[in-house]
Amino acid sequence: MRPRFADLADRLDGLYEFDREPVAEAKLQPWTKFAGMFAGEHVAATEFVIGAFFVLHGVTVRDLLLGLVLGNLLAVLSWTFVCAPIAVRTRLTLYWYVRKIAGPGIMVVYNAANAVLYCILAGAMIAVSATAVGLAFFIPTPRLTDVFPTSVAWVLIVFVLGTLFTLLAILGFEKLSRFAQISSPWIFAVFIAGAVASFPKLGVSPDLSNLALVARTKIWDGIAAVGQEKFGFWHILFFAWFCNLAMHIGLSDMAVFRFAKRWTYGFLSAFGMFPGHLLAWLASGVMVAAIGRELNPGLMAFGAAGYAGVGALLVAGWTTANPTLYRAGLALQSITPNWPRWKTTLAAGAATTVLACFPVVFMKLLDYVALYGLVLMPVGAIVFAEHWIFPRLGLETYRAEKRGWVVNPAVLAVWAGTLIVVFLLPLHLYFKWLPGYALALVSYTGLAALDRRKPAGERR
Amino acid sequence: MKRALYAFLSFISLAFCLVFPVRHFLGGFSAERYKTGLIFASLAWFIFASLWASTPKDKPKR
Repeated sequence: MRPRFADLADRLDGLYEFDREPVAEAKLQPWTKFAGMFAGEHVAATEFVIGAFFVLHGVTVRDLLLGLVLGNLLAVLSWTFVCAPIAVRTRLTLYWYVRKIAGPGIMVVYNAANAVLYCILAGAMIAVSATAVGLAFFIPTPRLTDVFPTSVAWVLIVFVLGTLFTLLAILGFEKLSRFAQISSPWIFAVFIAGAVASFPKLGVSPDLSNLALVARTKIWDGIAAVGQEKFGFWHILFFAWFCNLAMHIGLSDMAVFRFAKRWTYGFLSAFGMFPGHLLAWLASGVMVAAIGRELNPGLMAFGAAGYAGVGALLVAGWTTANPTLYRAGLALQSITPNWPRWKTTLAAGAATTVLACFPVVFMKLLDYVALYGLVLMPVGAIVFAEHWIFPRLGLETYRAEKRGWVVNPAVLAVWAGTLIVVFLLPLHLYFKWLPGYALALVSYTGLAALDRRKPAGERR
Repeated sequence: MKRALYAFLSFISLAFCLVFPVRHFLGGFSAERYKTGLIFASLAWFIFASLWASTPKDKPKR
């Protein structure tokens, strides 16, 4: 078993070989690159669904605005004070840093988990785009409570879109990345256009004098849709904060910030959070209210912005599913028998397309986003402990690397143990990650301290 | 020079993507007119932004 695991780890190392060394001084990027990247990455097709869900969950205007401002601020601070400083000090990707701490075996598990999570996320994006295509063919969109595919026509649309997105991800990842950069300002503009154009339908007067009243009574009226849980300030705050948990607290954006000249570049994440996770979410809330609170992203986009809206939904789904499929393919490459990149991307695309047929992947998107961050969060806590706490307590760092471990047993125990405890915690799903993070931090530090007390001969 | 022109036209196109819905909201445009305008402004954005992105930066003169 051990040689097989080591073999997998070797292949995984080969994939990430190009970024094995810390980033050289000459390769550091200006702040404008980071601002542009964040602004472009956080206006995705799923924004159409998330903002609409807040309306269906009966959020009030005050709770929504306060929750989004503070939650997004906490997300920006998490990038700035947790992720960016470690990235700038090490100049490494999370992959290589965790490898030193946890061993290559943990990276195989981490990559496999990431591949599955990416496939589900890309599946949600394909499903959201499918609602736009379905509109053109008069195919009913699944309802909020639907879990399984609702019709053969729905499956066909998802299949066609999934195949198309996968082929494009295989054929032209680089070109499509450039297309995505061009598209993102336009997608954001269509969000704003759709919201402004929906105002007359909601009865907002041209002088905006009744905007607050309309927002309070017709959009975020505080009444949850049938079967939907009522959300308040804390739900919104935590959702906005953990929406990119895997990236900031989970540290996967070390891959980005290792190119930053200073850790303060973390503040530039505000260029993504406030337009994408505040204005775009508010805009989609306005659009869903204007079509009678029906969660149908295609209908929302068409009703608010016509064919340009449908186009924006498709392009947003396409351009964001593309890198997600690519990353899933990359993550899968390590656990397949020497498959080329096209083959793993095809496999990821096939799995994603099947998942996208199930409406539950986007109807339960908010819960999925919470789970995604939760599953990867303990790894971020472990790296944080090892980077900042261990040196201060005089604990040995990088034990897996120094002792040649394939798997650091303490990392595995803390990761699995934290997940078991948080899933058993009698807390709302959105609030579980914070105590989980503290638990992972304390338990990993505690285990390392216990290991130090053992006589040298007893240590593995 | 060309690059600057394409950048300028791109921003103008994007601005029009926002002008049409505002005009509709203020009662100046019908919904149909706004949606048609948005399509043309969107097409213009993609054309000029693609040209802007693909035009190399002018080299400084020595």
